Amino acid sequence: MRARRALLLLAIAAAQFALFEIALRTWGHSEAAPSFQALFMPDPVVGYRLRPNARTRFVTAEFETDIAINAQGVRDDRDIGPKPAGERRIVVLGDSLVLSVQVELRQTFCRLLEEDLNRGGGPVRYRVINAGVQGYGPVEELLFFREIARRFEPDLVITTIFVGNDAEEAVISAPKLRGAARPATEAISDSTSSRLRRLVRRSMVLQLIRLRIVSVTDRYRNWIAPPEPPLQSYAEHPAPRIAEGLAISRDCVRAIVDEAGAAGARSLIVLMPARFQVDDADYGRLKEAVESTGGHLVRDAATARFDEALSSIPAPRFDALPPLRASLPGPDVFFQQTVHLTPRGHEIVATALAAFIREQGL
Amino acid sequence: MVFNSLHFLWFFLVVYALYRLLPAVLPVERAHRAQNWLLLVASYYFYAAWDYRFLALLAGSTIVDYTCGRILGSLQEQRVRRRVMWLSLGFNLSMLGFFKYFNFFADNLAALFAAAGWHADFVTLRVLLPIGISFYTFVTMSYVIDVYRREIAPTRNLVDFAVFVAYFPHLVAGPILRATALLPQIQRPRRISAEQMREGLWLIAWGFFQKIFVADNLAPLASHVFTPGAQATGVNVLLGVYAFAFQIYGDFAGYSNIARGTSKLMGIELIENFRFPYLVLTPQAFWRHWHISLSTWLRDYLYISLGGNRGGEARTRRNLLITMLLGGLWHGAAWTFVLWGLYQGVLLILYRPYESAFATLQERRVSWLPPSGGSVLRVVAWFVMFHLTCYGWLIFRAPSLHAIGSLTASLFGNFAPRTIDVTGLLAPLLLYTVPLLVVHLVEAHADDVLIVPRLRIGVRYTIYVATLYLIFLFGNFGGSDFIYFQF
Repeated sequence: MRARRALLLLAIAAAQFALFEIALRTWGHSEAAPSFQALFMPDPVVGYRLRPNARTRFVTAEFETDIAINAQGVRDDRDIGPKPAGERRIVVLGDSLVLSVQVELRQTFCRLLEEDLNRGGGPVRYRVINAGVQGYGPVEELLFFREIARRFEPDLVITTIFVGNDAEEAVISAPKLRGAARPATEAISDSTSSRLRRLVRRSMVLQLIRLRIVSVTDRYRNWIAPPEPPLQSYAEHPAPRIAEGLAISRDCVRAIVDEAGAAGARSLIVLMPARFQVDDADYGRLKEAVESTGGHLVRDAATARFDEALSSIPAPRFDALPPLRASLPGPDVFFQQTVHLTPRGHEIVATALAAFIREQGL
Repeated sequence: MVFNSLHFLWFFLVVYALYRLLPAVLPVERAHRAQNWLLLVASYYFYAAWDYRFLALLAGSTIVDYTCGRILGSLQEQRVRRRVMWLSLGFNLSMLGFFKYFNFFADNLAALFAAAGWHADFVTLRVLLPIGISFYTFVTMSYVIDVYRREIAPTRNLVDFAVFVAYFPHLVAGPILRATALLPQIQRPRRISAEQMREGLWLIAWGFFQKIFVADNLAPLASHVFTPGAQATGVNVLLGVYAFAFQIYGDFAGYSNIARGTSKLMGIELIENFRFPYLVLTPQAFWRHWHISLSTWLRDYLYISLGGNRGGEARTRRNLLITMLLGGLWHGAAWTFVLWGLYQGVLLILYRPYESAFATLQERRVSWLPPSGGSVLRVVAWFVMFHLTCYGWLIFRAPSLHAIGSLTASLFGNFAPRTIDVTGLLAPLLLYTVPLLVVHLVEAHADDVLIVPRLRIGVRYTIYVATLYLIFLFGNFGGSDFIYFQF
């Protein structure tokens, strides 16, 4: 009797697993979806990067986009060959805010910047290369520049800093600077754990359950050692690792500027704000959340901290916050369910950045 | 320590293991005494996990009311008994008034003085609110009143009484238990049946579903509309209010279910606190189905003490208004809660003449669903009542009186249906409420909140497994404390 009940329970669990898997694959597209994960491949130096020639259609409740990676491993619909005469190349390094899977390629600020710079005509043709990769921070951007983007023969290298989390990510990724990068799949053997890992990656249900387990274990760690308030980059009195992350970020950006300079390219640093720095309602919610954990949120602290940390680097800095703020009131510049720019946000950044590049004579 | 924390999981596993072990190693009566000591220590630890400094208040309230109960039991003269009862009530109400309402009255007094041109910066004391104080003071007050009314005999055992007050499943957010219901269960050895285990586990799972899947996922949707500075059109305000209606229901009913479930596992039955409150047709029925332990407390100890419906229609209306105003204030020291209480009182008064007309419909509350079909009138009555309840939640959740005005203005003056936020509000609202409503309607159809563990095995397992999948796949594991802790 018990065995029959257990079998029935297993059968129901398996049937529902299949139903949830189908439902999630049909309607629940997210970055956990296998099709999206297929955009990435392991890299022995950076950890991972975009897979050359990968393509996918990314569908969420808020947007639908086609993503194509070119043969060189950046989001572009054209290959990058030797630089023709009269072409001025701009390489934009950064994270998901640069890659921008939430909008079509033609709507990204990189492509809009290219169009804006070329609008006046003239003998020089600009080509802006979107070298952003989801999840990158200053450390990965430096390594990616050395490994891949330097070969694109840039005349101008734009390093985009997301002030919201780049300091924290720099601390986490710092070991990669010492050659410690180990892509998740590098050491794949036919061990049980690696087979299990591959299985989990292929199933959206299992991926979500894995995320829940990670969340619970994080909470367990937080219970052992009480959690600190979130958004430390914006904290009135941030944790010591923020200063450490700012220093690592500064060293990475300086290395990019120096190495680009050695190759004859100029540099520009772009500071990209978090959504709540622009969106008052989002700020209200986060302020409340941070205060509920005993912290105090200073709205523009991360921008000011990066601005100061990078001030010693001999490259102009462009802060995207003022033009984004100046666009209000008006349609949203950030998506509601992600922290990424809407097409309007991309337009605003591209227009202001183009004006800055002209003004600086870059 | 919240129910949805690992701290509670470890705490409960340890306490429960010891609780079940004791009867196995000790004779019945000694095991029973040891279990009560265990429950007392565990409950005080549970409370100390919030803030150990307020343990003295809990212990003080327990000792004062235990002593008053003993004295009341030994006295015969009614005049003296009344004084003792008022002594106890005065102690509890002073404690509640000071810790819960001092800041509110001080701030309003200061504002009043400032309006008159006087500086009132002498009011600088900031009083912390001890968690659960509204619940345990009501529990102890009901005990003393019941002893005074000779409805129960005073207990002679301080440990039993302390467990009754501090019993951890109901300590910080109810249900507000009566001595008549809980004390006898504490005083006698307990046996735990297989049915209690089955029902307890289901209630815990369902409570977590209501909290983690429903309430914590709907919270950001409600915040999206209610956060100061948010400028939503009427249609989106309406969706935000719906989200809050199900958030607060999921949150509070979830807590009550986890409390009932954990208590069932220990062989102690707690009262049902919610019974399909959004399916009712009148405000009176709403208060018989929403936070039942509070509304019955207010009815038995406040409304009836004020005279209830004896003494004519005008006095009944006055009593209803006073009861609901104080009920609103019980929820929190803010004018929005006072206004919410007033609103509920007015609704009760307005519906009063039609209560008998609604009575037949109300009895068939759950039958308006297919296949029994339903009259248009019943559906209209439900629709109106549900939206009146939702407007009450708008008042309740609004961050200020000014916000109530602006949200109401959006709702009625700028509805703009074309601006409906499908992806940000409507779709997630449906995703997180439809599974709740499906089970809710199954329970309502059977008029039994514990029907699921009694369904056919295939159906039961399907619901169990779906509940667990929904919690694990879509639950918000970074959720907050339960809303009612602040009350």
